[in-house]
Amino acid sequence: MTNSIPEIRDAELLFVIGSNTTEAHPIIAMEMKRAVKNGAKLIVADPRAIWLSNIADLHLQLQPGTDVALLNAMAHVIITEGLVDQAFVQQHTVGFDTIVDATRETTPEWAEGITGVPADDIRTAARLYATTKHAGIYYTLGITEHTHGTDNVYSLANLVLMTGHLGVRSAGMNPLRGQNNVQGANDAGASPVFYPGYQRVDDPAAQARFEGAWGVDLSPDPGMNLNVMMKAMATGDIKGMYVMGEDIVLSEPNASKVEQGLNSIEFLVVQDIFHNETTRFADVVLPAACFAEKDGVFTNSDRRVQRVRKAVEPPGEARADWEILCDLARRVGYPMPEYADPGEVYSEMAGLCDKFAGISHDRINAEGGLQWPCPAPEHPGTQYLHGDGPLKGKAEFQATAYRPSEELPDEDYPLLLSTGRTLYHYNAATQTRRSSGAMARQPRNFIEMHRRDAKIRGLEDGELVRVRSRRGEVLAAVNVSPRMKRGCVWMPLHFPDSNTNRLTNDAGDPTTQTAEYKVCAVVIEKLRAAAK
Amino acid sequence: MHSGRTCRGGRFTLSDIKLTVDGEAVVVPAGSTVLDATRKLGRSVPTLCHDDRVDPMGSCRMCLVEIEGQRRLQPGCAFKASDGMVVSTSSDRVQQHRQLLLSMYMSDHAIDADGLPTERGVGNRLRSHVLEHGHGPTLPAIEAPRGYRDEPNPYIHFDAEACVLCNLCVRYCDEVEAVSAITLAGRGAGTTIATADQQGLLDSSCELCGGCIAVCPTGAMTEKPSRANDYREAEKVRTTCNFCGVGCQLDLHVQDDRVVRVTSPDPGTTVNDGNLCIKGRFSYEFIHHDERIMQPLVRGRDGNLWPATWDHALDVAAKGLLGVKARHGADALGFVSSSRCTGEENYLMQKLSRAAFGTNNCHQCAAT
Ligand code: SF4
Ligand code: SF4
Repeated sequence: MTNSIPEIRDAELLFVIGSNTTEAHPIIAMEMKRAVKNGAKLIVADPRAIWLSNIADLHLQLQPGTDVALLNAMAHVIITEGLVDQAFVQQHTVGFDTIVDATRETTPEWAEGITGVPADDIRTAARLYATTKHAGIYYTLGITEHTHGTDNVYSLANLVLMTGHLGVRSAGMNPLRGQNNVQGANDAGASPVFYPGYQRVDDPAAQARFEGAWGVDLSPDPGMNLNVMMKAMATGDIKGMYVMGEDIVLSEPNASKVEQGLNSIEFLVVQDIFHNETTRFADVVLPAACFAEKDGVFTNSDRRVQRVRKAVEPPGEARADWEILCDLARRVGYPMPEYADPGEVYSEMAGLCDKFAGISHDRINAEGGLQWPCPAPEHPGTQYLHGDGPLKGKAEFQATAYRPSEELPDEDYPLLLSTGRTLYHYNAATQTRRSSGAMARQPRNFIEMHRRDAKIRGLEDGELVRVRSRRGEVLAAVNVSPRMKRGCVWMPLHFPDSNTNRLTNDAGDPTTQTAEYKVCAVVIEKLRAAAK
Repeated sequence: MHSGRTCRGGRFTLSDIKLTVDGEAVVVPAGSTVLDATRKLGRSVPTLCHDDRVDPMGSCRMCLVEIEGQRRLQPGCAFKASDGMVVSTSSDRVQQHRQLLLSMYMSDHAIDADGLPTERGVGNRLRSHVLEHGHGPTLPAIEAPRGYRDEPNPYIHFDAEACVLCNLCVRYCDEVEAVSAITLAGRGAGTTIATADQQGLLDSSCELCGGCIAVCPTGAMTEKPSRANDYREAEKVRTTCNFCGVGCQLDLHVQDDRVVRVTSPDPGTTVNDGNLCIKGRFSYEFIHHDERIMQPLVRGRDGNLWPATWDHALDVAAKGLLGVKARHGADALGFVSSSRCTGEENYLMQKLSRAAFGTNNCHQCAAT
């Protein structure tokens, strides 16, 4: 997030796109509800009539996967109606002309044909957004989990830049991180192209810095990202895996292909707190400690580095992941330092990253969470980014063009499936499936659909059906829901015995390789009375 | 509107207000209430129905203070401070009012052997108010016909006997969680808290956030799984929620090496402002679940996973990974790190991948 969670309540306009905030980020949603109560306008762009759309001033119920068309039409309106923040564009950006060209033809009427959103609503949304000062954009996986996820993000950034909604309180561009420490994992360099602190592995200066600190030669070749690794297992380019804290079979798209890959590699280590679909393939399983059993930090969506503290002992012989990793490194001959505690690990990292140089466990213990950038021990941290213009020189506009999703409904697979998360469960649900409340509310997998889509297939609410895509099939209970558009269905990702990722498409975005969890084509089959 | 709020974004400030509380001068921002001013001076004015996150209601009458020029005592939580105001929080008149009011509350509340409002493991503000301010004459107990059937939701227990009808849970559910699952029901002495249509909580719009438990001043709303645990015996450990990316701060209550309850730090102190969702507040059963992996496991010749010592398991892991590297090169290895693990662990995972094995094939499990 460029801005901070506590700023949300003071916003004048919230543009929430591809984020079912009340379920995925409940406490951020509370801040949004508070802003609306205080008079803020709310625009929701989502294919489903999610809870927030009930209190929205405007709900743009677009066809899944058509975000770029919607956003470029909004840009078209802002440009043609003279609502661009010229001073900001001149001072802080380059490449505005490319956007003018790219959006010349993307009229609201054109977009209506693709997105299904009335042209007038697109106009209203664009005007409201452009003419409100404290207007923030909030988005999450509904934007990124597409084959055109990068284009979606660029299109949003273009809107932010042309309206100057950057470096302003309660505005900005705010991805809400799906998991507790996505931000922190990225920050720490769990990325095939970045060392800690977003220093590129193919930048010789960065390479030299880390070679010096770690005392070894390092590879300048960017590595494979997760989606590529999953495919590389099947093609034989990856032969050994070390998986920490992730159920890749349940969480990655096209699960059958992931399983094939895991069957064909030579060696797999899994380190986790519960058995899961992936441990079935492991050669070695290492029992880890959960968050309540170890020390460290998590970094939340608004770049706030906060402490995790050990409250209880791990069960049995389980050990903290950090200890296991250090031991394993020494076993393979790398002299990992004898860190006394994770605070020392953090210090080593902070010493190599200007962005976190001022952060330490001691400081967080004394002052509470600290938001990076925080370059020095006396620096207070940064509540919102770009307060004095974008960080590095000028921000560049990136022209985008609407491309349909990889796999759209056709005669054989007539329904468009999107997937996501619910309030009660959490991702692979190894933790929430062991919670009585979550199980009381959502005991099994379900498929949400429009009343008419159920009716024409002769399906009853609650009936068990088979859902099939080109990649696999699962059983799920029909959930007739007023939230859905006709022709679109929705399923959660939390149930191992009915793994929705057997259906999803592993086609990736050309830049990030993030997979298209949000759009694929499926068909629903009624189960015969005799069949189980 | 939320008290103490100055203006949108705090970008412009109306002039500050000067007033006197118990003879002491204090300056507060425009829009502040008398209660805000007394708190700024550290005066302990008792409240039951007040919480900064919801609109003041002034219904419990606990926070009445004397204001010069006002004939009646006034509720500090709802009465706006103004320039030159003279407030007394501990005059005889105020003290008398408090004691009588506490007597009235006690007549409609379960009383323990010490003659004090019953403690329910989670603290009872009525009890602490009585301890601090005393009470007036003992009034005859009210026999209230408050039926409450226990209900099947797994988390929230409601004990009508301890309810003082401050309505804070209802207002929280309405104004903060904004789902309006519960409401005041019944009338007269039988008034109580119930779901909007008298159904079970699980059939209502309730999202099981537990906010009603957290705001309840007397312990009428409590968490079912931890009802037997006395909060005073637990040690609290401040940490960060391990579910979504909001980063709510949690206090884990630890007793006998077990997490027995989770609460939020006070409103106004951390990013979550006293709030939690169902996952942060209630999904802690997994920590002590007996299906946790407790021993290292190594796959045997028979194809099954068998318990092993750490020494053996690490040895097999190291040899296996080094073997792949020797046969196919470092870039035939992949390291999947986790956004569920700490920053330090992610740092060590990529260091293991890069420095110990020599490949940049390291990625965490989530792209956003
Ligand atoms: S748990 Fe939350 S949603 Fe349910 S009644 Fe209490 S405050 Fe309302
Ligand atoms: S309590 Fe809920 S909203 Fe807060 S971090 Fe945890 S999962 Fe997210």
